[in-house]
Amino acid sequence: MRVPFEWLKEFIDIKESPHEVAHRLTMIGLEVETVEQVDSDVVFEVNVTPNRPDCLSIIGIARELSAAYKTPLVFPEHDVLAETGELDFNVDIVNVDLCHRYAGRVVRNLKIGPSPEWLKKRLEKCSIRSINNIVDVTNYVLLELGHPLHAFDLKTIKGRRIIVGTSNRVKGQGARIKLKTLDGIEREMPEDSLLIWDAERPIAIAGVMGGMETEVADSTMDIFIESAYFEPVSVRRTSKALGLKTESSYRFERGTDIKMLKKALDRAAYLMREVAGGTICGKIDIYPKRYKPDEINVRYNKVNETLGLKLTKEEIIDCLDGLGFEMKKLANSLKIKPPAYRREIKKEIDVIEEVARIYGYDRIPAQLPKATIMSQESRVKSQESKIKDNIKQSLLKSSFTEVINYSFTGLQDIDLLGIGEDDERRNLVQIKNPLKIEESFMRTTLMPAFIKDLIHNVSHGNRELRLFEIARVFISQKSEVSLAHRSSLIAHRKKDHELSAMSHELSSASILPIECEHLAALYYKEKSKALYRDDTPDFYIVKGVIEAILNDLKIYDYSFVRSSEPFLHPGQSADIFIMDSKIGYVGVLSPAIVDSLDIKAHKPSVIVMEIDIDSIIPYAMQVVKYRPLPRYPYIERDTAIIVDSLLEAAMLMKWLKSYSSDLIEDIYVFDVYQGENIPEGKKSIAFNVRYRASDRTLKDDEIDAMHKSLVDYILDKTKGQLRA
Amino acid sequence: MSYMEDLKQTFLEELKSVKNLADLSSLRVKYLGKKGIITSELKSLSKVPPEERPSHGKKVNEIKQFIETELDLQESRLKQEELKRQLLSESLDITLNGKFISFGSPHPINKVLSEVTDIFVKMGFSVEEGPEVELDYYNFEALNIPKDHPARDMQDTFYISDDIVLRTHTSPVQVRVMEKRKPPVRFIAPGKVYRCDADITHTPMFHQVEGLMVDRGITFSNLKGVLKAFLHQMFGADTPVRFRPSFFPFTEPSAEVDIGCILCNGAGCRVCKGSGWLEILGAGMVNPRVFEYVGYDPEEYSGFAFGMGIERIAMLKYSIDDIRLFYENDIRFLKQF
Repeated sequence: MRVPFEWLKEFIDIKESPHEVAHRLTMIGLEVETVEQVDSDVVFEVNVTPNRPDCLSIIGIARELSAAYKTPLVFPEHDVLAETGELDFNVDIVNVDLCHRYAGRVVRNLKIGPSPEWLKKRLEKCSIRSINNIVDVTNYVLLELGHPLHAFDLKTIKGRRIIVGTSNRVKGQGARIKLKTLDGIEREMPEDSLLIWDAERPIAIAGVMGGMETEVADSTMDIFIESAYFEPVSVRRTSKALGLKTESSYRFERGTDIKMLKKALDRAAYLMREVAGGTICGKIDIYPKRYKPDEINVRYNKVNETLGLKLTKEEIIDCLDGLGFEMKKLANSLKIKPPAYRREIKKEIDVIEEVARIYGYDRIPAQLPKATIMSQESRVKSQESKIKDNIKQSLLKSSFTEVINYSFTGLQDIDLLGIGEDDERRNLVQIKNPLKIEESFMRTTLMPAFIKDLIHNVSHGNRELRLFEIARVFISQKSEVSLAHRSSLIAHRKKDHELSAMSHELSSASILPIECEHLAALYYKEKSKALYRDDTPDFYIVKGVIEAILNDLKIYDYSFVRSSEPFLHPGQSADIFIMDSKIGYVGVLSPAIVDSLDIKAHKPSVIVMEIDIDSIIPYAMQVVKYRPLPRYPYIERDTAIIVDSLLEAAMLMKWLKSYSSDLIEDIYVFDVYQGENIPEGKKSIAFNVRYRASDRTLKDDEIDAMHKSLVDYILDKTKGQLRA
Repeated sequence: MSYMEDLKQTFLEELKSVKNLADLSSLRVKYLGKKGIITSELKSLSKVPPEERPSHGKKVNEIKQFIETELDLQESRLKQEELKRQLLSESLDITLNGKFISFGSPHPINKVLSEVTDIFVKMGFSVEEGPEVELDYYNFEALNIPKDHPARDMQDTFYISDDIVLRTHTSPVQVRVMEKRKPPVRFIAPGKVYRCDADITHTPMFHQVEGLMVDRGITFSNLKGVLKAFLHQMFGADTPVRFRPSFFPFTEPSAEVDIGCILCNGAGCRVCKGSGWLEILGAGMVNPRVFEYVGYDPEEYSGFAFGMGIERIAMLKYSIDDIRLFYENDIRFLKQF
């Protein structure tokens, strides 16, 4: 809301400078965003919150200043009217609940033309374009008194009759009613919208916009000015349904001053006579639903308890004085009735806020609370977030940089990954009003966003990428999913917010999706000349990071199994399992997908991984128990065997570990070789075994025998032979 | 007697000309070997008259000792020199770059988020979460924002269905926590929020931190105390803080909390639009109407709530002028944090 300082001064005697006034307004809740010099005047841009429609006018702002400065409001002498003639006009309000008061005046013999300079200037300062003297006056009064008016060309109103009623009431249920509004668009009236009718047809949408056929034109001589109180919710619904927002609907839907309505009407008529030379005729005022505020009991001690102050009764009353309240002063409380322009004040707390506002927030001392010691209810939660934080720190230390991507996705992303029809990741949550069609779903996998990050970075010449993100995915719970299944899913996830939402979900039959937190990462390194050689395939680097993270969480029961994810290289990818449940995947991004992206690098190798973190948390919450350090020395043996080249290391390890002995402390593979001296279709695997007893020093010959037995066992299992 | 002195002098002369371990070894043989000069002297001791034998023997032994010590000393010197030569030959070009390993960087938004979280956790606040796809009931209704209320215009909402939205703020977590827990409660709820808006200062997804404290006897003065303490930790103890009235349907009285502009120190600049102040937090006393929704007795309990946008704080802190940079995930940007 733009407020010219000179205009403000017509209502209140201000001695302070514009900047001081701006500061004061800000500190009583009317934030002045900018103070702009316009010619010799100063214009404030005031940010009026939705609860203060009374401040959407010059007089409203002046009223606030009057309360703050304890200076009386001054009304300029302009309401004296010379009324002539009768008003042979018939007004009926059909829907009294939607229109509490309807008033009107006729002004005759007007000369429509351009407005005088002073009027144009004022409107201009408030960013309103001058149209003609009649329209300008209605806008002027709107700005000055905050009350929207509408002017009809009198001769176009048929039957000297105005009916205020909904689209349904007058024409019967379900009828299609059309009206061409002032902006030249023919619109269909939404059901239940309140309209203004003449004897034959609708001529305006109440509180929103007038009709074109009854518009004031250059040829207009006589007009009918409407000033009414329309119910806010009704105006808001109509305006929303039509997608039509006007200065008028903006004010009506927030609430107008039912008492100011008459003053606004008279003011407009007076000004029209001034600028267009008309004759003011009689008026009509139908007021079936009077403003009757409830009495609010405001306890003095409650004011102080809420604010943390020790105000006396007098100080409290002093703050409220000047806000237009009707006050009855009792010993322990005040009985208050708010004025018609403060309809949002209904409860004690609303009045307490008024006291605080006028007293000044800056005068309330800042004091730390005496806190109660909290119970341990949030311990499990904080344990969870600690684990997540550990994972994040591990990734940062492993040189991965954190990204944050939008939670949105599109079908094109899911299709790009080749995700199958039955895959859970197709259970997408759809947004009804997305900003872009490619972002009209909530993501079920973090991977598509990483592909976008990859494209962006590579196209900007960033040659090394190690990125990760921890974020939620959203799996829609389709209505076919049975309730029992859902409860078990929710219980499984152990997300208490989902549990608590159950009651509301069940009653409203709306099902929230399952949200779980995923970790995803991408590793990309352009093959370039490097100072130091490292031939480790990238796959193992990322796999190593995953193993390190799991080990750090004291999770050891994991395994990597060849993956069938459609978007991964089938020979260089793995699904990750803890016990029997899949928690994620890791692998080389399918070359087919990489080829389809517009990446200018030569055969880039991209490793990706994604893990459902929520599902690993239960395994991670185990308590660490100390194991004593060994007291006796160990003996090591290295052995290389030649086996079928398709034998996987995991299988070999499984067999080695199945050899039962208390003396084996550790086994690891330290070399895999294929090539010269090894037959076609075979490979050599070398492993190290460390033996140790917990109660004695082992002897070499004892271990020689045991190791031979182990090697025989493994050669039998693998159908292999010792490498010479 | 001077023979012995001469011998010593000759040895020292010869020792001086020793250049390496091989020379040293032959010198040792020459004097101390089986047929060496000193060895011979000792052998010929029997030829010395008996009365002179003890004193002569002592002298020879003295000189033997002397020669041995000198030879050992020289040997260790030569060995050290040799080692030095060898190590020098193994020297690396230490000006070449180290093998590249670098730590990753946290995303600036999460960096600021954990800073904020840490401060409140130290003040005894726990950390809570809520769903990002949220019921209209929690996002609006129970926060005293009914359907058809103009306050809904304050936020452009993404809808999933008539009853389900993408949460437009982290405030629904307030209701969810109060619903299942009796007072006292004291927590913050960081997280992602969504509004359908996109330009240089708005992204459709951004981050907020919500906070709530409810107990007996909590006042507006406490709200000021806690938020002032937070802002002083976050922006420095000298940062001016001001509270001014505002409007949120779920708090009353409501406040907007400003800090003195950290870029111009309150003098007025482009970022603070010349006002010298930056809006940082929204806050207020929990509206009794919200307590009624969750079944708390507003006569017994009171509390305050607050919320802040993390992007804004991060932009101010790092002087970032385009919010979209946060979500492009350009490694050159991310690596700076």
